[in-house]
Amino acid sequence: MGYSTIYAVSGNDIVYETFDGDAVVLDLASGRYFGFSDSGSCVWEALIAQVPPASLVGRTCGSGQLSAADLDAFIARLNEYGLLSPATGMASAALSPELAQRLAAAREALKIDMHDELADLVMVDPIHDVDEPAGWPAVKQ
Amino acid sequence: MRRVTLDDLADYARELLAACEANADAFPGKSRVELPGLAIDVFSDHGELARALGHGMVAEIAAGRPATPGRIFLAHPGIGSIPQPALWGEALFHPNMFSERLEANGLRGHYFHDLSYWQFYDVEKRLGVQLMRSADGCPPWEFGAPLRCFLHWEYAARGMRLTHAGTLGKGGRGVLLAGAGGAGKSGTVASGLLAGLDSVGDDYVLVEFDGDRSLARPLFTTLKQDQAGFDRLGLARLLPDPGLLNWQGKYQFRVQDLCPRGVASELDIVALLVPQISGAAQSTITPLSRKDALMALAPSGIAQMPGERESGFRFFGELTRRLPCYTLTLGTRGNEIAETIAAFLDRGNS
Repeated sequence: MGYSTIYAVSGNDIVYETFDGDAVVLDLASGRYFGFSDSGSCVWEALIAQVPPASLVGRTCGSGQLSAADLDAFIARLNEYGLLSPATGMASAALSPELAQRLAAAREALKIDMHDELADLVMVDPIHDVDEPAGWPAVKQ
Repeated sequence: MRRVTLDDLADYARELLAACEANADAFPGKSRVELPGLAIDVFSDHGELARALGHGMVAEIAAGRPATPGRIFLAHPGIGSIPQPALWGEALFHPNMFSERLEANGLRGHYFHDLSYWQFYDVEKRLGVQLMRSADGCPPWEFGAPLRCFLHWEYAARGMRLTHAGTLGKGGRGVLLAGAGGAGKSGTVASGLLAGLDSVGDDYVLVEFDGDRSLARPLFTTLKQDQAGFDRLGLARLLPDPGLLNWQGKYQFRVQDLCPRGVASELDIVALLVPQISGAAQSTITPLSRKDALMALAPSGIAQMPGERESGFRFFGELTRRLPCYTLTLGTRGNEIAETIAAFLDRGNS
């Protein structure tokens, strides 16, 4: 990971809502939902607000500090899930005091949970990817 | 046999809509479905699907609301010169791309490959076609919630939403019961109705925002229970001849079969409850994070409805933001569950 890299949401298919500091992300193309821990929500919000990872390493996060290794792993997971991509030509932003405060008050480790229970209903090709005798929505194994 | 691809999808939709309009007089049946703010003339053949329109849908209760007219054709090649349903071409079928291509042309649509079953809706004209191979050639779930996709598209265009949730209420105030299939929604709704609570429906209800209020209105009257739920609720005394099990292995009946007053006309929704089957003797209602409530409410409602996915996510996000959210841990006795919800509503916990 480049610590000065600026990230952005990976396209229009990624939509998200934040409730009381908890983010929920939906990938419209895949039908997968993602829920974050409280610290994960803070980091997600910071990254999509163009805060570079370098500004987050060492920040107070609950009873500890955000380590480079934890941040690396978290961003790698966001990339793997197709939620976040490096952005070019974008200026970096500073971490807002509100997000810094929330991060300091976080109680959970950096974490993202993926829910794909209904993704097959959203994204599978029901013509070519289904088990023919069973028909849609039985997905070909 | 014609093969449709993304490139000629919108043209195909327009051709079918035009064919139905040209053959309007050839349809054997015509009925009017009156729903909140909407009066739909449905052109159909005779058969089970046509009967489901009269049986499974509410008659608009809130008289005086201005109703916008619409037309929907339930068509098949046995009517006039309606063509045989086309097939999808060899290209990848991706539901999201399918929806996007139609939306770019002011249309909504759905294709169910197994039955060569097409649905298209012109949002501006409020004109829809459901093309099947035969009069009842639709997927089996359509009989419980006929016109569901058309209503989804029409109401979504108005900023309202078909919401996959059960409802219970008292004195005009109510709760939404959200969660995946098997979470206990339907059993809870049936228990509540038997105990004298109101409902605007189970499975799918119409939700709209009116200022600070979140209102739920009925569209369908259908309730479902599997054999175990049917026995547990003692429904045989009310439904001695419940008919055959449906495609899900459930009995299908109506709200008015359990309570003579039928569906309520409207509920002012004051909370979102996410039922959980627990096996405990007593039901409990405890706070739930909005994130978890959205995860219970949104996925099935979005996955089961073609198109309008982002607007659905936004709508359910707003709904979750407006309402206090709770986990409803279900006890084992229907009466006790209903009493717990009634007491919750009496306390004004919202």
